[in-house]
Amino acid sequence: MNEKISERVSDLMDGELDGSDAERTLSVLREEGAGRQAWRTYHLIGDALRDHRVLSVGFSDRVVAGLAQEPTVLAPAAAPVAPAARAHSWRRYLMPAAAGVAAVGFVGAVAFMMPMQEPSLTTPIAQAPQVKPTPAARVIEPTPPPVPLPAATDDYLLAHQGYSPRNRLQGVAPYVRTVSGQALESKR
Amino acid sequence: MRALALALAFGCGLAHAQNTPEALALLNKIHQATQKLSYSGTFIYQQGNRTEVSRIARIADASGGTEKLEVLDGVPREVVRTRDGVRCYLPASQTVKVERKVERTGQQREFPAILPDRLNELPQYYAASRGAPARIAGYDCISVVLTPRDDLRYGYVLWADASTGMLLRARTVNEKGETIEQFTFTQLEIGPVARDKVKPKQAARNWRIEEAATTPADLLREGWTVNADLPGFQKIDEVRRRLGESLVVRQVVYSDGLAAVSIFIEPLAERRELLRTGMSNLGAFNIYTREVANHLVTVVGETPAASVRRIADRVEFKRPQ
Repeated sequence: MNEKISERVSDLMDGELDGSDAERTLSVLREEGAGRQAWRTYHLIGDALRDHRVLSVGFSDRVVAGLAQEPTVLAPAAAPVAPAARAHSWRRYLMPAAAGVAAVGFVGAVAFMMPMQEPSLTTPIAQAPQVKPTPAARVIEPTPPPVPLPAATDDYLLAHQGYSPRNRLQGVAPYVRTVSGQALESKR
Repeated sequence: MRALALALAFGCGLAHAQNTPEALALLNKIHQATQKLSYSGTFIYQQGNRTEVSRIARIADASGGTEKLEVLDGVPREVVRTRDGVRCYLPASQTVKVERKVERTGQQREFPAILPDRLNELPQYYAASRGAPARIAGYDCISVVLTPRDDLRYGYVLWADASTGMLLRARTVNEKGETIEQFTFTQLEIGPVARDKVKPKQAARNWRIEEAATTPADLLREGWTVNADLPGFQKIDEVRRRLGESLVVRQVVYSDGLAAVSIFIEPLAERRELLRTGMSNLGAFNIYTREVANHLVTVVGETPAASVRRIADRVEFKRPQ
């Protein structure tokens, strides 16, 4: 049992658990026990390997600075973890993974410490290494999804059609677009 | 590179993407035919996955002619155009929508700044060339390909009867070379048409009448700055009118000679339904809605989304002068 939970904590730290599994493991971690023991041990191993008995001075400052450098994704999409990244288990590649794990551990703390002004805080920090840092914070504006046609579409189209140069080439035929079945039907 | 892609998409090489006088002459011939011919026929309108068959008839006369369009598929409706304006008969809602011609004192016959007045200017914004001939509904047709010189407008391919100039097929093409809208006659008779073919079938007795009641307006004096700011697009009208049953809106129209864009401005307070701002699409139309100074601005354009958006973003309200 203990072995099993430590395995799952390890997987959690590697970001290999999906939503419900991660949730279950996290709920185990809320209670003192083998799970939490494993969590602490693994973090200690990571810190020891990097010769950080405690986190280095200015760590949180660097995380904050790093966040400021991140491009602001206005509609963050869940970036899938690349298979290559999965293969790099923290146990095999302790150094970089431990840094990532430390960041995961800290993002919560940072979120509490910082006023919620940057939407970038909604971007999971675990994805950060996949995004190239840029010299200055910039905004990526995604194309917004189309909205449904306005309720008065038929009226707008009719009002517009009288001015369409198409009438000069096709007579009354282009009016077929103005009282369109589609716009009428979407209203029902 | 983009020009090349567009030229290829339109089925002609770069060498042919030059303006040919014959291509522009054909455009003018199509316009003349639309004014002068009497005809009756059936055409198919395609847009996205929608296909509708309509019957059309026109009687040409000295007063400007009378035309009727009757949509045979889906929701029944009839549109009758006379020299006085346009009447839309909608049996499902027992409504007649009436768009009368605006009375203007001492001004031109109709709206200026669109075809054929701007035919000579057109080559600045579209490369006009002759396309491949085709046989459509029994007529031997020649064609003109209008390829936009920028991404602010769509392209067009028009096929017309070689002898009369009657338009038999019209296709609107987007920047990827995809057809986004098409009209094609499946049957057409050119020649005298019986009077009753252009009369509405609907008696429309006791139907609700929605009058546009259009009057000229001056938006700048009311504090509105509207500026198309797109190459080739000129303002062709500026009015105040009713939309639907009671809503009063301001409408400004811009055109580059082949495509037109309308800007509608209305007070938000008169809107009852949920407001959804953003871009929506219906075939060759893009519609963009945004809120400006407690008003709803709706831009309806027969142009790509980018130009509709650009026009909408330019709308500003300042203190009335």
